[in-house]
Amino acid sequence: MSIEITRLNRLFAILVMWVVAYQVTQIIKSRNLSFIASWIKASSADLSTKLGGELSIEEVGNELLQFLEEKTDSKVSALYSSEDSKNLNFVVGRAFRPEEGKEKIQLGEGFLGKAAAGKNITVLNNITPEHFKIITAFGESSTASLTIVPLISNNKSIGAIELGHMADVKDYEVGLFEEIRSIVTSAIKSAQYKQRLNDLLQEAQQYSEELQVQQEELRSTNEELEQQAQNLRATHARLENQQAEMEQTNQQLEEQTQTLETQKGLLNERNKDLIASQKELENTAIQLKNASQYKSEFLANMSHELRTPLNSTLILAKLLSENKKKNLTDEQIKYAETIYRSGNDLLNLINDILDLSKVEAGKMLVNPEIIDLESLIVSMELLFRPIANDKKIDFKLHIENMARKDIITDRTRLEQILKNFLSNAFKFTAKGSVSFSISSVDNLISFSITDTGIGIAENEQEVIFEAFRQADGTTNRKFGGTGLGLSISKELAGLLNGEIKVASQKSKGSTFTLLIPRVLKQQTDKKEQFKRAPVIDISAQTEVIKDDQLQNEIFKFSFEDDRDNIHEYGRKMLIIEDDEEFAKILFDLAHEMNFGAIISQTCEEAIALAKHYRPNAIVLDLRLPDHSGMIVLDNLKMNPGTRHIPIHIISSSDFSRSALEMGAAGYILKPVKRDQLLIAFQNISSKLDQKLKRVLVVEDEEVQRNHIFNLLSDHSVEVDAVESSTEALEKLTSNTYDCMIMDLSLPDMSGYELLSKISKNNATYSFPPVIIYTARDLTKEEEERLRLYSGSIIIKGAKSPERLLSEVTLFLHRVETDLPVERQKMLSELRSRDKALEDNTILIVDDDIRNIFALTSALESFGANIEVARNGLEAIEKVNSLPQINLVLMDIMMPEMDGHEATREIRKLEKFKDLPIIALTAKAMKDDRDKCLEAGANDYLAKPLDIDKLLSLIRIWLPQKRTFTK
Amino acid sequence: MKNSEISKLEIELLIQAIFAKYQYDFREYSRPSLMRRLEQAKIRFNIKTISEIQNKVLHEKDFFPKLIPYLTVNTTEFFRDHQYFESLRTKVFPFLKTFPSLKIWVAGCSTGEEVVSLSILLKEASITKYLIYATDINPMNLEKARKGIYSTELMIKAEENYKNAGGANSLSDYYDIAYESVKFHDSLYKNVIFSDHSLATDSVFSETHFISCRNVLIYFNRPLQERAYTLFNDSLVRGGFLGLGNRETLQFSHLKNNFIPIDLENRVFQKTL
Repeated sequence: MSIEITRLNRLFAILVMWVVAYQVTQIIKSRNLSFIASWIKASSADLSTKLGGELSIEEVGNELLQFLEEKTDSKVSALYSSEDSKNLNFVVGRAFRPEEGKEKIQLGEGFLGKAAAGKNITVLNNITPEHFKIITAFGESSTASLTIVPLISNNKSIGAIELGHMADVKDYEVGLFEEIRSIVTSAIKSAQYKQRLNDLLQEAQQYSEELQVQQEELRSTNEELEQQAQNLRATHARLENQQAEMEQTNQQLEEQTQTLETQKGLLNERNKDLIASQKELENTAIQLKNASQYKSEFLANMSHELRTPLNSTLILAKLLSENKKKNLTDEQIKYAETIYRSGNDLLNLINDILDLSKVEAGKMLVNPEIIDLESLIVSMELLFRPIANDKKIDFKLHIENMARKDIITDRTRLEQILKNFLSNAFKFTAKGSVSFSISSVDNLISFSITDTGIGIAENEQEVIFEAFRQADGTTNRKFGGTGLGLSISKELAGLLNGEIKVASQKSKGSTFTLLIPRVLKQQTDKKEQFKRAPVIDISAQTEVIKDDQLQNEIFKFSFEDDRDNIHEYGRKMLIIEDDEEFAKILFDLAHEMNFGAIISQTCEEAIALAKHYRPNAIVLDLRLPDHSGMIVLDNLKMNPGTRHIPIHIISSSDFSRSALEMGAAGYILKPVKRDQLLIAFQNISSKLDQKLKRVLVVEDEEVQRNHIFNLLSDHSVEVDAVESSTEALEKLTSNTYDCMIMDLSLPDMSGYELLSKISKNNATYSFPPVIIYTARDLTKEEEERLRLYSGSIIIKGAKSPERLLSEVTLFLHRVETDLPVERQKMLSELRSRDKALEDNTILIVDDDIRNIFALTSALESFGANIEVARNGLEAIEKVNSLPQINLVLMDIMMPEMDGHEATREIRKLEKFKDLPIIALTAKAMKDDRDKCLEAGANDYLAKPLDIDKLLSLIRIWLPQKRTFTK
Repeated sequence: MKNSEISKLEIELLIQAIFAKYQYDFREYSRPSLMRRLEQAKIRFNIKTISEIQNKVLHEKDFFPKLIPYLTVNTTEFFRDHQYFESLRTKVFPFLKTFPSLKIWVAGCSTGEEVVSLSILLKEASITKYLIYATDINPMNLEKARKGIYSTELMIKAEENYKNAGGANSLSDYYDIAYESVKFHDSLYKNVIFSDHSLATDSVFSETHFISCRNVLIYFNRPLQERAYTLFNDSLVRGGFLGLGNRETLQFSHLKNNFIPIDLENRVFQKTL
C-alpha cells in the first residue's frame, strides 16, 4: 500500500514538475517574443530618425543598408529604386556593385525583378554556394541565404532591397524587414520626389541662363548694328564728299592713263629681264651658300683624314732620326729630322684649318668654367718665359687691381687666343720687350699683348685677320707660321662674345687686345637653354615618380582598418598617412586610446571618408601621394559638417603657422617620438569631452570689454577679460587659452609690443591664436606686421561683432594649441637637416599678403632670409639697395609695375643679369611661360604653388649664384 | 550627315584649333550661344562656312582678334542692374569695412564699366584701401577698359542707373567731356589692375574679399561653371562675398553649402565663416 502511495506520489510530483516546466517555457517564450517585438519597435524608430530630414536617395540607401548590416547578419546588400514601376535602378550597395550594364533590371524579369514585383518579402534559404561570393583579402565565402524586400507604394513598386546572409534568415529579422518597409518606402518616395524637383529646377535654371544669354546676345547684336549704322552714316557722308573730288580727279587720271599705257609696255619688258636676272642671282646665292658649306665640311673631314697618315709618318720619322740601330749616316738622320719637322709644320697647319673650318661650320662649342686670372697669367709666364730668355727679350706680365679676379669663359679657347698673340709677339720681335697685361674695362676683361717688333702698316691691319694671309707676302718666308692663327683667334673671340683690337705702327711694334665679357653666357637662345636646364628634368622626374606612386602604392597596406566594424567603437579616428609603418603605429595607438581607426592614403579619399564617417578626431600627414594634406585641412574646415572635427597634423615639413591659422588643432613635426604621440593622443582624447573653452580678452575700454564678454559668454566659453598688456602676460603665464582677442591700443604697452613679447618668449607664455579687434585704421605695413601673428584682423564697425563671433567659434574648435617649446626645438633640428637655403637672401615680390605670408614662413623655416617687395618698382629698389639678395621670386600680376616689366628692368642692369629670378604666375598656358622667360626670368612656376617644387627650384637656381661669390 | 551636324562638327574643330593655336579655351562654353554668334560672324565677315573661319584663324594673322568679340558677348553698362549696386552699398560694404584692406576681383570685366561703377561706390563709402583686379580674356576689352574713355551717349542711362543705385553725387563729377567722349578721372583707376585671366584655364592669383562675376557663367557649361565657382571659393577669404548675374545661381553647385545668400534676388552671396 505504502509502496503504491509512494509511487502515486512520485508520479504526481513528476506531473507537477512537467506542468511547472511547461509554464516556465511558455513564459520565457512569450517574454522572448515581447523582447523581440520591442527590439523591432526600437530599431525601426531608430531607422526612422536616421531617414528623417532631406536626404538624397543615395543617402537613404547608405543609411538604410548600414542600419541593416548593423541590426541583422546581412553581409552583402543592395538597394534598387524604380521611378516608373517598370525598371529597377541600382542605387547603392554594400560589398556589392552590379556589373557594367547590369545597373538596370526590368521589373518582373529575373529573380530579383519577379520578387520585387510581388507583394511579400521573399526569403531563400539554402541557396547554392556559387550564387554569390563574399570576397575579402583573406579569401572568399558563400552566402547561405537571400532576402528580397519589395518596396511598394499605392500598389506600385518603387524599389527593392536585396540582402545576402551567411546563415539562414531568422524570424526576428524577417519581422524587422516587415516593420521597416513602410518607413523605407516613404523615405525613398520623398527622396525620389526631391530628386525630380531638383532635376526640374536645374532644367529651369538652364532655360533661364539660356534666356539671359540670348538677351545678352540680342543686346550685343543691337549694339553692333547700331555701331554699324553709325559707321555707315559717317561713311556715306564721307563718300559723297569724295565722290565729287573723285570726279575731278578722274578726268586728270584719264589723261595720265594714256601716257602711262605707253610706258607700261616698256616697263613690262624690263620687268621680265629683271625677274630673269633675279632668278639667276638667287640660284647663284644658293650655290654659293652650298659651296661654302661644302667647303667647310670638306675641310673638316679632309683635315681629319690627313691627320691619320701624317701621324704615322711623324712617328716613323722620329724613330728613324733617333737612329737606334746606328745604321744611318748623319746625312740620312738629317733627312729624317727634316721629314719630322716638315711633318710637324704640316700637322699644325692642318690643326689650324680644322679649327677654322669648325668655327665657320658652327660646330665648335664653348664650355664655360671659372678661371682665376692670377693662375692664367702664371701659366702663360711658364710657357713663354723660356722663349723670352732664349731670345733675350724682356717679358713683362701685369694684372691690374680689380674687384674680382675670377671670370667665367671657355679656358681652352681663351688660352689658344692668348698663346697665339704671345707667340706672334715673340716671333716678330727681335729685341726689346713683350708685355702681357690684364685689366677690366667696364664689364669687359681686356687682355693686351704689346711688343716692340716689326709692326704692321695701317693699310694691312685688316688683312692680317683673313685666312692664309699675312701682312707682307714675304713675312711668311722669313718668320714661318701658317698665317691662320689670327683668323682663328678672331673667330674664337667671336665665340667668346668678345673682339680683337689691333694698334700698331710699322717698325715700332703692335698691341693686340682681346676684349671679352667677364661672364660668358652660352650662345644658344634662351628658350633652348631653358629646355636644357636641369630644372625641368628634375621636376618632370618627381612628377613621374608621384604618378607611379599613386598607381602602385595605394591600397597596399597589409593590415585592415576598422571601417567595416567601426560601429563597435565608441569613438572614431581618421588617420591620413601613406607610410605603412607609421600608419600602423598610429593605428595601434588609436586602439590603445579606445578609438576605432580608419586609414586613408590620399586626400581625395580622406575627404570623402571624413564626410561619411564623421570621425571624432583626425590625424593628418601633409605629404600625400595626390595632393598636399593642407587641402584636406582646408576642405574640412570649410565644410560646416566637418569643421568641428579636431585635425592634428604630423608632418616632416613645418607649415605649422599656416596650418594653425587654417584651424588645425595641433602640429607635430616628424620625426616624432612615441611619447609625443601618446601625449597628443591623450590630449585629443581628454579634450574631446571637455566642453569648456577659454578665451582671453585684452581690451582697455570697459564698455567694449563687457560687450565682448557678453557676446561670447553665451557659448559655453569661459572668458577672462583684462585691461592691460601686463595683466594679459600674467594670464598667459599661468593659463592656456584657446583664443585671444586683443585691441591694439592698450595703456601700458602697444599691441605690437605685446605680441612680439609673447612670440619671443614662447617658453614663458603660451601663444594662442590671436584675433585683432581694433578701431584703428591700419596702414599696409601695419597690417603686414600683424599678419605675422594673426590671421584675422577685424576693424570695429557695424558688422564687426558678427564677424568676431564667427571667427572665435572657428578657433574654439581646436583642441590643443601650439606646443611652443617643442616646436622651437624641432624647428632647429629641421634647419640642420636642410641647409640648402641657409644664409641665402630671397626677395619675394608679391602684392598678396597671403602669399607673402605663406612663402615667408615656409622659406624662413629652411633658414632663408626673406625680403619683401610689394610691386615691381619696390623690387628694383630692393635689389639695388640690398646686394645680399641672391634669388628673386617674382609674382606676375601686381599693381604699379607687373612682374614681366620688373624682370626686364632688373635684367637691363648689367650687374643683375645673372641674378636668378623665378616667375610665379596664375596663368597656365605655355605661351605665358614663354613670356616670363622672354622677360628674362630663369624659370617659372605656376600657382597654386607647391612648396616642395618651389624649394627644389630654388635649390637648383641658387648654386649658380654661389659659384660667383665663392 | 545633316547640315546641322556638320556645323556642330565644324564648331568643335574650330574651338580645338583656337585652343591649340592661341590657347583661348572655349571648349567648355555653351554650344547654342557659340553657334548663334558664329552665324553672326559668318554674315559679318561674309564667309560661308565655319570651316572657312577656321582657315582664317589658322592662316591669317590678324583675323583672330577680330573674331574674339564674336566668341565672347560683351554687353555691360554703368551700374547695370542698379539694385545689385544698391545691395552692395547697403549689405556688403558695411561688412567689408571690418577688413583692414580689401581686394576685389571683377572677373569678366569686359570694357570696364562695372569696375568704374565699383570704384565710385567705394569712394562714396569712404573705402580707400582697396585693390581691384579686373580680369577678362579679351585683350581688346582690357585695352578699352584701361583707357577709361566712353561715348557720351552712354551717360544718360549711366546717370539714371547711378542715381537709382543710391549714388550720392552726380556721375558727371567723376568724368570730363571732350570730343563727344567722356574720360573718367584717373583717381578711379589708381587702385585697379587690369589683367588677362581665363576662368577656363588659369588659377587663383590672390586672396580676395569680394568677387563680382556677372553674366559670365551663363556662357559656360556646367563643369566649367563648377570650375569657376571653385576658383572663387578658393580665392575668397572666410566671410568674403560673391556677386553673380541675375540669372546665375549657386543653388546647383557642389559648393552651395559654402555660401549663404545675403540677397538672393540680387544674387549676392557670402562665403561661410
